[in-house]
Amino acid sequence: MSVEETLKKIVTRVTRKPEVAFSPGATFEELEADSLDIVQILVALEDTYDIEIQDEELQEIKNMGDFIAYIERKIGEKGK
Amino acid sequence: MGDRKALAGKVALITGGSRGIGRAITLKLAEEGADVVINFFRKKSTAESTAQEARDRGVKAHIIKANVGEPEQIGSMFDEIESQFGRLDILVNNAASGVARSALDLNDRGWDWTMDINARAFLLCAQRAARLMKSGGKMVSISSLGSRLVLPIYTAVGVSKAALEALTRYLAIELAPRGICVNGIAAGAVETETLKLYTADPNLPQSAWQTTPAGRIVKPEDIAELVAFLCRGQSNMIRGQIIVIDGGVSLTLITPKTGEN
Repeated sequence: MSVEETLKKIVTRVTRKPEVAFSPGATFEELEADSLDIVQILVALEDTYDIEIQDEELQEIKNMGDFIAYIERKIGEKGK
Repeated sequence: MGDRKALAGKVALITGGSRGIGRAITLKLAEEGADVVINFFRKKSTAESTAQEARDRGVKAHIIKANVGEPEQIGSMFDEIESQFGRLDILVNNAASGVARSALDLNDRGWDWTMDINARAFLLCAQRAARLMKSGGKMVSISSLGSRLVLPIYTAVGVSKAALEALTRYLAIELAPRGICVNGIAAGAVETETLKLYTADPNLPQSAWQTTPAGRIVKPEDIAELVAFLCRGQSNMIRGQIIVIDGGVSLTLITPKTGEN
């Protein structure tokens, strides 16, 4: 499963809003994810990929596309 | 004989023990000779780093990932402690989280998340810890002044800390016949990263520093010193108390208005 598919699955499960459209251009706000949802999404991703997400690095992330790229980079760094 | 450290041979679990106040407690208990179990939620590398700092003090250090808001994860954590150490002498209930919102903006999920991690976790940890403790065991809960004062967007955390403090008193009496001491610490503003989350005023640490009667803001190490004291035998006659550590600031917050009816 791609990172995008995994992220979509996690976001939908955590926010419990399957009707909200997930797309690379969507922001957390547009996905109706509150701060608690975001923490749970981060934890789920960390557990899934055995990575550590640095909260301060998320400041640069504008939308899901940025987030997917960030996760892919973290996965890549882990392999080095 | 005189060199034996006060907590040598003890095993201590510090929930949320890898960073901030928890890290300071972990390192202080290690310095006093206790083997430490460091519970963490997300940052494994931080937990490993703190564990290494503890080992540098000559004790064993073990890290366990667990969200203490999840009962089954608490169960797994204690199963691991039991298999690794076969005992527990000290439980420091330090892990905390919370949704920073005013009462009217809180939803049920935020409330439950906060209560589960800050209050229920101590109940579940204490139940399991008591089974591993012998007479002389110690439990310390870390609360905050928000349990009794009203702070901006602190509703859920403040209420959860009030529950934590009440639970501390009940546990103290229930566990007293088994020789287990239970106490709590209510800290004022402490110089940590978390402090920044609860204030819109980026200058709060400096401001608190200036207005605290003791002349400076509370540091994690101040709390760690108090935890260490509550874990030693000298504190055995203190039971079910919530000790305020705030440099005296809470005593100066109320300025009665005069000349008004």
